[in-house]
Amino acid sequence: MKIDERCVGCGQCTAFCPKNAIIVKGIARITTDCIQCKICMAYCPMKAIEESA
Amino acid sequence: MKVLVIGSGLGGLLSAAWLSREGHEVDVFERLPIIGGRFTNIEYKGFQLSTGALHMIPHGPTGPLGTLLKDLEADVKIVRSRPMTTIRIPTEKDAMDYTHGFQDIEFHDFRKHFSLLNRIKLAILITTTRTFPPKSGSMAHWCSKNLNQDWALKLADSFCGWALSLKAENVPATEVFEIIENMYRYSGPGIPVGGCQAVTEALINIISSHGNKIHTSTEVTQILVENNKAVGLVADGNEYRADLVISDIGHLETSRLYDTNALDTSAASYFTAIRKLRPSAGVKICLASNEPLIEHTGVLLTPYAQRINGIDEVTNVDPSLAPAGKHLIMAHQCVQWENIGRLEEEIDLGLRDLSEIFAGKEYEVLLIQSYSGEWPVNRSSSGSDLSNRTPIEGLYVVGDGAKGKGGIEVDGIALGVRTAINDILNSN
Repeated sequence: MKIDERCVGCGQCTAFCPKNAIIVKGIARITTDCIQCKICMAYCPMKAIEESA
Repeated sequence: MKVLVIGSGLGGLLSAAWLSREGHEVDVFERLPIIGGRFTNIEYKGFQLSTGALHMIPHGPTGPLGTLLKDLEADVKIVRSRPMTTIRIPTEKDAMDYTHGFQDIEFHDFRKHFSLLNRIKLAILITTTRTFPPKSGSMAHWCSKNLNQDWALKLADSFCGWALSLKAENVPATEVFEIIENMYRYSGPGIPVGGCQAVTEALINIISSHGNKIHTSTEVTQILVENNKAVGLVADGNEYRADLVISDIGHLETSRLYDTNALDTSAASYFTAIRKLRPSAGVKICLASNEPLIEHTGVLLTPYAQRINGIDEVTNVDPSLAPAGKHLIMAHQCVQWENIGRLEEEIDLGLRDLSEIFAGKEYEVLLIQSYSGEWPVNRSSSGSDLSNRTPIEGLYVVGDGAKGKGGIEVDGIALGVRTAINDILNSN
């Protein structure tokens, strides 16, 4: 998954990530634990998460 | 009457619940899979964190939200905070931070920390200002003009930062005095048992018990307007017709859903005004600990911290908000507009504050949540809210983008909803 500049850092994605693969501090960052399940996308209020190419 | 509500945040749910009880047919559309906007719980590591609010209602059970929930017969218990607020001050006179020790004083004792002259002035000012509130200028300006003492501005910044996520220089003095007036009128904060979600759930129950529906994961892409009147909306490609549309997504975001060019020139001033609205920004740092860090159910204001404005420990009211034996502590810091681009540095300053405020205590940083721009603390910063009406007949805006005067956070939302729904019921 990829996070763009729309991210405000609210951490909603972190809370719903089943793999604990998103670290948030001002902005969210996806770690290598990400399994591309896309669950986080739906919970982002800023539509800041895309599938990585 | 058929009513469509855009957004299931607190303002949308309060409006939908109220109109459901009046016997109207209501549909609520929510873009996200969860209901409640920035006022519900999210579970993280067994803790009930929140999507936004700090599980606290500024004026507790007797304030505008508490009263509205009671009127709607919503099944929520709000526990009054005792004491309302304590203020952490350095032990040493003239110290500017907490590094050499601190003590906590009761909120009402804040006067004791002014010079004798200022205490006399303050006694007179509180009376005269309540009768003749200042007409212009910021709260910071009022402090420096009337009480030229650093403590006044520190306290004002801490209070405005906690309650409004603004610096005192960005809050009109009139708004702060309206809030002080409301503190006398409604009393201090409270914590809903079960956190924000208890409120959200109670409202969902009212809406669904009247046969009305909340459509989650359903995005509204257009508001249908005919002859300058809202007649429905488009959500996920489907058209819904209605007599009334209520939007809980702020004035500016709402205006993007209809063709503003189709309106006559009388609407121009509205569009100028909504573009000027500035959302307030802030950071919430959620902490977990094995021992209580605050030991009371109110707010701990921290005027001598660099960034942190105030902290609450919600598990002192409801231990079920954390795993057994753990405590949940939430700290808030206002982020000034010019610092939004430097959020990580702002957060580091906040974290450093917490290590001083809780020196010698063990705690874990659970989650750091920041809010700005289109997912802010408040869509319109307090003191700048517009009315609930729009230039389009039958289209109303509620929520933190259209709060009532002097209403802090969710209490402001409740004041705005009461105005909007009374307006709707009187004109239909």
